[in-house]
Amino acid sequence: MSKIIKAEQGTSFIKGIFKPEYSNLLILIVMLTLTAVLQKNFFEIKAIVRNINAFMPLILLTMGGAVVIISGGLDLSAGSALSLFTCVLTTVMKKNDPVTGIYALLITFGVAIFVGVINGIGIGYLRIPPVIVTFATSYMWLGIALFLRPTPGGESVDWFKGFYNFNAVQGAPEILKKFGSYIPPALILIIIACFLWFIISKTKTGRYIYAVGSNNDSAYASGINTAKIQLMACIINSIFIFLAALFFVGQNQSGDARMGDPLTLRAIASAVVGGIALTGGRGSVYFALVGALIMSFVNKIIFFANIPNAYQTLVSGLIVIIAIAGPIAYTLYNRERA
Amino acid sequence: MGVELNRPKSITQIIFEKYKKVVVAFILIILLFVLGEIILSNFLRVDQVLLTLKLASFTAFFALCQMIVISAGGGGLDLSVGYMATMTAVFTASIMDGQNGNLWIAVIVALAFGVAVGLSNGLLTAYLKLPPLVVTMAMANILQGIINVYTAGRNITGKPSPVLTIIAAKSTGSFPNVVFILIVLTILVMIVLNKTKLGMILFGVGSNERTAYLSGFNVKLVRCIAFTISGVLASLIGLLLIGNMGIAFKDMGSNYVMPSIAAAVVGGVSLSGGDGNYFGVILGAIFLQTLTNLLIAMGWGDAGKWLGFGIVLFALLIVYVSNRRTR
Repeated sequence: MSKIIKAEQGTSFIKGIFKPEYSNLLILIVMLTLTAVLQKNFFEIKAIVRNINAFMPLILLTMGGAVVIISGGLDLSAGSALSLFTCVLTTVMKKNDPVTGIYALLITFGVAIFVGVINGIGIGYLRIPPVIVTFATSYMWLGIALFLRPTPGGESVDWFKGFYNFNAVQGAPEILKKFGSYIPPALILIIIACFLWFIISKTKTGRYIYAVGSNNDSAYASGINTAKIQLMACIINSIFIFLAALFFVGQNQSGDARMGDPLTLRAIASAVVGGIALTGGRGSVYFALVGALIMSFVNKIIFFANIPNAYQTLVSGLIVIIAIAGPIAYTLYNRERA
Repeated sequence: MGVELNRPKSITQIIFEKYKKVVVAFILIILLFVLGEIILSNFLRVDQVLLTLKLASFTAFFALCQMIVISAGGGGLDLSVGYMATMTAVFTASIMDGQNGNLWIAVIVALAFGVAVGLSNGLLTAYLKLPPLVVTMAMANILQGIINVYTAGRNITGKPSPVLTIIAAKSTGSFPNVVFILIVLTILVMIVLNKTKLGMILFGVGSNERTAYLSGFNVKLVRCIAFTISGVLASLIGLLLIGNMGIAFKDMGSNYVMPSIAAAVVGGVSLSGGDGNYFGVILGAIFLQTLTNLLIAMGWGDAGKWLGFGIVLFALLIVYVSNRRTR
């Protein structure tokens, strides 16, 4: 017994690093170094901005997905929801009428809440296994998105480009353009999401999300309205996806009913790489962000390492397994030795 | 009072309770066909029903993989079955090259692939305790990658052996041969799961891990074997798929993955493990296929098809799987 306690107290540097959470930071640093070596202009502002823009949708979807997973759910509809939001935005907006942009924002925000509520009712109130209920809803979002936009396209007002790049907006103040070349809108959206979660995590709801996720029945028995908390988690997720959709429409000025599909499972994998337990209740949303960064850098490195196109899915699949297996294998090995 | 509660139920009651979901699924299928007949007026024809059966059997085969993995518990799901089947199909196409004599080599290759992939899934999930959802997804990526690497710069050549074509694509009279396979498989699965110790072990491990462990079963081994079986089955389904299609292509199996999970759930398999009835799963697959056919036949296009699919599945889940708490 004393041996075990001693082993736990002896927090050597190596052991601290191999705590699942911190080992991720280590992996991230290794990846950053690798990318910096491979990408010649990695530290130039332009390259950094380009990287942030490329990573942004996955980061937001991962953070949102992480909230749902922590609350004991899972969202397989995130990608289709993202596509749906882009379709709604580009359908409502008319190119020559700047006011429609505001309508589009409001309407899509309403749609986002609706999506979150439906998922939340399925997971929380009806207590259908999250994997299968969000699978069903993903087809609903896909169907609506295809109804609005059978082929990729649509219109967008000019100022919407500001969600992607302030410089692209005609008549934007010089100071904003200058600011935007250092701090891109994508980063601002990510910071907004982090800030939102920071506030929520300080409230009762934030703590309840963890409580519900780690043990639904105990949380219920201690008087928490578990269904409502899971519904809230789904709405938070939906809002994060909404932010990603704003960026996407700003970037492309079009909506696409299929663009989000590949992101769904990648977001879940990123969350797991970031140390979120799929059983719920454990993990940190900020570390999920780290997971998303790791997954994004994987693609970047594969791209810069001149690995032939055909090998890319193979390598990224292998890296996912290594990234989630590494820390766990290490702790198992340590436990057996002790 | 107590006596009354313990009164043995009548046989009809027991049968109804045990097969409630099967009965409901059956009624739903008939309802769909009747609905289709009313709306489209030539939906309920023998050849239409048989075609539905044929298409549904492939989903049902994949759903067997899912059922075995899900029943073993631990949040099991196998997202790699689609690309497992595709990989086998792509590789064995050139091996068989339209010759019956090469079929046995193809089967051995399929078995080897299945064991290799299934076992790695099993080892990673059961022994390293990694979440099955992510592991099998990553495995699907890896298999897709292998297919990409193999097909980069060359065409997928080869044809299935004639025997395989007869089994998977042809019909006896108007009855598709692949449905015979499904019937035989169903009987086999029902016997193994309900009449032998194997089924008891599988469901035991799924329904209560700790009890199973304390009763002396090796929980990890059982889960690992469940994944291996799933891999082998998926690989063999790959042979049937290429037999049916006649050629192999890159994405031939990936569209079956999520419907197979849905079929399992609609068929009464509990996603938390320890429960499942393959007959129900087959009815689930037939239901989903009928629904898809109906929605396609209505001619609402892709949008209506997916929206209808989503809404009906959602509604079905509410009625079927929902586990509402009553205050």
